[in-house]
Amino acid sequence: MASYFKRLKKDLDASSAAGIITQEQAQKVFEQAKAASLLGGMKAAHWIAGAAGIFIALGVILVVASNWDKLGANLKIGAYLLLFGAAAEGSLAAEDKPSVSIPLELLWFFMPVIGIGLYAQIFQLSGDPVKPYLAWAVLSSPLAFLSKRNFTAFLTTLLLFAVLFMGTLGRVNMLSLTSGYEQAAQPVAHWILALAVLAGAVFTHLIKNPERGYGLPLGAGLAWLLSMMLADTALKLHSPATLLLAGMSASVIWLACGSEGAEIESKLPLTVWTAAVYAMTFFWHYKPDLENMRDADSAPGAVLTWALLAAALAALTLKKQRVFPNELGEAALGKSLLAASILCAFLLFGGGQETAKFLAVIANFILAALGLGLIMGGAKASSEKNINRGVAVLTITAVTRFIDIFGSMLTSGFAFIGTGLGFAGLAYLVNKGRKALIEQVKK
Amino acid sequence: MKRLRIVLGLQLLFFAGWAGYLMVSRSASTPEFYLETTPVDPRDLISGTYVALNYEISDPRAGSCAELSRSELAFYVKLDDRGKTAVTAQGQVPVYQVTDCSREASYAPGWARADVEIGRGVKYGIERFYLNEGDPRKDARSGSVLAKVKIGSDRKLFLLDLVKKI
Repeated sequence: MASYFKRLKKDLDASSAAGIITQEQAQKVFEQAKAASLLGGMKAAHWIAGAAGIFIALGVILVVASNWDKLGANLKIGAYLLLFGAAAEGSLAAEDKPSVSIPLELLWFFMPVIGIGLYAQIFQLSGDPVKPYLAWAVLSSPLAFLSKRNFTAFLTTLLLFAVLFMGTLGRVNMLSLTSGYEQAAQPVAHWILALAVLAGAVFTHLIKNPERGYGLPLGAGLAWLLSMMLADTALKLHSPATLLLAGMSASVIWLACGSEGAEIESKLPLTVWTAAVYAMTFFWHYKPDLENMRDADSAPGAVLTWALLAAALAALTLKKQRVFPNELGEAALGKSLLAASILCAFLLFGGGQETAKFLAVIANFILAALGLGLIMGGAKASSEKNINRGVAVLTITAVTRFIDIFGSMLTSGFAFIGTGLGFAGLAYLVNKGRKALIEQVKK
Repeated sequence: MKRLRIVLGLQLLFFAGWAGYLMVSRSASTPEFYLETTPVDPRDLISGTYVALNYEISDPRAGSCAELSRSELAFYVKLDDRGKTAVTAQGQVPVYQVTDCSREASYAPGWARADVEIGRGVKYGIERFYLNEGDPRKDARSGSVLAKVKIGSDRKLFLLDLVKKI
């Protein structure tokens, strides 16, 4: 950030010297930009006061910690309730001073879990490991909904998703969905509670942070569903083919429905989809685990997989493609690549090594088409960024295949030297091609 | 702002009420007794260092206990002095054992609630003892300490202390 302000100051001074703006305007623009940054308004006196506050707080914490055993339960509880009230009241009273109000509201959000931990320590309480976190989410949710700011709601959403993953994948707690210790699947009540937590997370996000879109809850929800299909739950999928179909369908749904916005290329869904296709290229080495494949997929898991496939195909038909930015005008290619990435999972249904190799080849072609599409589209639309992205996709794919194919031969020193020279040559050629394209775009 | 103050009031009321309930329940006029225990020492993210405790009574076998452990999610155990003792700094103390189990809640002396964790025996809510990093009991070996407990007014066991055997 500091370097940004240095550059801004330099640019403003240059503009002022060139007579574009006055010296006074340059100064005002710089002050305005600095004041708007998170720590920009901090003067030297503030930093010294902040340091003093941190040292005093650390001192108090150390004194309290070293005498912790000598403090009675009543004193600890009283001090906790006072701190709780003071933090919350301070946050409300200083509402128009964000530098005070935001840290205090953050402390208010964390006070319930601090209290739960403190009471457990004082009264030697133990029990379900998920319950304290769920209680924290319930106790903090009114603050999340009623606060004028959105960050406590965002933290509540993250907390609920964390509880959902931690609880449902755990073996012994009120949300456990994995079977454990040779027992059958967990009770229906656990599923109902897990779905309620999921709904709570989605609801909190959509009500309090609608401007963020539904990418986060959709992605987290789909990731949770896939984890349930992978783990030993009632949705367990044993067949790699069904798992791949479910995974690719989910990533396409997330990409199609969860990445709305102008700067789509910088968002996570596209990276995840690209990574998933990249992972598919490794099916070249696939060896069917016949022992494990004898178990059939669970019926609910199979039904959900087909539902995901249907939803992915519907999203492909009804939604805009999100592989290539609109400016590149490669809509048909984008949709084709997405469809191919899902449908090639069917090649694995035969369970053979040969069809798996074919699947890996298709995945390589998808990546190559993606890279070329980005480069060509980028050249047409004068977008350096997309050209660079396309080159990156092609380079990573090429380097991986190089190691894949020649990896086993890299046993002698000469082979290593040869490989190094090969990489150097590749890097030179790729960079030369990239620069030529960018120059062409600039003309 | 007003609604947020109501939320704050409710949160404070919850924690004050919970503290009051725990204090009242723990101070019920029931006798204190000892249980044989097997400690290990992990750490809890929100409450700090603790000793994880397993008990002989976590796998009750007397009476209908074995059957109820398999068929119920919660039931009640009768804890009683059957003559087993241990020596502590306070002298010889009786070590209580499970003598019977029941599906129905009993408010007669010695009955405590047990919750079944599938495949992991029964739990009583006394499986953690929080202590300081420097406390020598943190490294207590299996069979070297006793848990001093009492039954609260809601039939739940409260862990009062971890006592070294001599």
